[in-house]
Amino acid sequence: MSTDYDQQRRRLHKCFSQDGLVGADDQTRITLFIQSLKAINSGILAKLEFQPLDWAPWKFLHTQYYRELEMATLMGRATSWSTNPVVYLEASNLNLGLWNRTQAWDYLQAPLAADERFYRYLAMSHALLSVVRLIPLLPPSMPLDTPFLQALHDVEEENGRQIQLQIRLLKELDMGMDRKQREALVEEERERVEASYLELLASLCPEQAEQG
Amino acid sequence: MPVFEYQGHQLYYELHGREGDPVLTIVNGLSMRTSHWGPYFQLLPDLGVRVLTYDMLGQGASSKPVLGAGFQDHADGLYALHRYLGIERPYVFGISFGGVVALRYAVDHPDVLGGVIPVSTFSELDAQLRGHATNLYVGLVRVGFGFYLDLLMPLNFSNEWIAQQQDLIQLIRRVGVSTNELYGIQNLMESLAGFESMTPELSTIKAPALILNGEFDCLTPRHLHDILRREMANSRLVLVPRVCHAFTLEIPALTSRLLADFIHAVERGEWTGDQSVWISAEDPQADPLLTLCEADHLRAIPLAPTPKPPRKRKTAAGSFDQA
Repeated sequence: MSTDYDQQRRRLHKCFSQDGLVGADDQTRITLFIQSLKAINSGILAKLEFQPLDWAPWKFLHTQYYRELEMATLMGRATSWSTNPVVYLEASNLNLGLWNRTQAWDYLQAPLAADERFYRYLAMSHALLSVVRLIPLLPPSMPLDTPFLQALHDVEEENGRQIQLQIRLLKELDMGMDRKQREALVEEERERVEASYLELLASLCPEQAEQG
Repeated sequence: MPVFEYQGHQLYYELHGREGDPVLTIVNGLSMRTSHWGPYFQLLPDLGVRVLTYDMLGQGASSKPVLGAGFQDHADGLYALHRYLGIERPYVFGISFGGVVALRYAVDHPDVLGGVIPVSTFSELDAQLRGHATNLYVGLVRVGFGFYLDLLMPLNFSNEWIAQQQDLIQLIRRVGVSTNELYGIQNLMESLAGFESMTPELSTIKAPALILNGEFDCLTPRHLHDILRREMANSRLVLVPRVCHAFTLEIPALTSRLLADFIHAVERGEWTGDQSVWISAEDPQADPLLTLCEADHLRAIPLAPTPKPPRKRKTAAGSFDQA
């Protein structure tokens, strides 16, 4: 990722080191963003529940659909929700930006099939599952013994297992594109998710950001 | 942050030491990154060796292409990095996965190499190593990066080291998980999926070769290093006592001395690659550092010395009799 990401990473590392916890406002921002990621992916995968079972990746996509729902609700249960309405307003704007950037609605239109649009969905969902990693931003000595941090850790670990589907299909599906075209497409989708993730990072620890 | 733009990707590198000293390039093991070599940035320059470390594609601060890179790309990327930095006669030291990359480099670029140092590595996958690799891969993708590191810990380090670091183990694990991308390391592993034995090519390596193997390396055991020794005419095998697969992290002072002594011997024209086997002292200051191994270096059982055949005594009659 970019130098912007490195700057945010350093800033948040410092902030979380000083505070020793992730407060309710930041928990709310993080959870609403993760739930938005999961809503995009599970919303697309939900269509599959109405499709025939004879498509090879069906079983794995079906599993991912329910895992995504499970992770989204787990975060919801484990979060200390903010009482500040501005946090929710800002989070809505951030999530709208994510939907716009990824053009997620485009995947909601027709049944899933092994075509270029599906390949692009795989690239986008690979980014949804791999770009957003908040645990590495915390000081390594910070215990993960709160319900929120434990849930966040579990979600990020589960993402590593779920992404195997995307990895296999991105590498093995023959879409009539050469490797360079596929790499460019994957990178394009990744940049879209990274841009929204950077916005999330910039919104965390706002007091510390204002101080400089 | 020093980066080398290579085929649309970025390779992160660090160069430490004095210009003009021979340059040793360190090629990481699978889930390593440049910062693992911190102690060497001081130790080796103090011994008159300049150090180049870098992260391969998929590792540390380098690019992590989602679709991965072929195994050959790693050796080609290193060659391009050397050209970019104007390093003309590098010594290439690779550990484990990085050792295979170093061997590939030595096969592909025999004319530019000062020497090669394959460490805790292999040129072919036998049944046990294939089994370990499969377990590590399955642990990584089905359980997670933390479990993959848990599997590696007892293979990589000695009992003594693990006991001493007990308080830090969880921290080390957490840093390991945080600083790696699962799919980046997975791609490195998958680049070996179609790996074919490099053993038939080893005899083409004419450069001086120092092969290092930890005494208790159960991941890449002695016989795999012995294949390298037998096939590379200009080589020596050094056994490093009481350590395991990742001994380079555990005993950097001794490893630095072994590396520097080798490089200076080659530079002075005093290197003899006679396929002999040596045992290192444990003390990095020992003099001499190496002792010729005259026992069967492929055995781990400490056999008692073979009893000498009974002496025969000359009898008064001039015949030989049992003593």
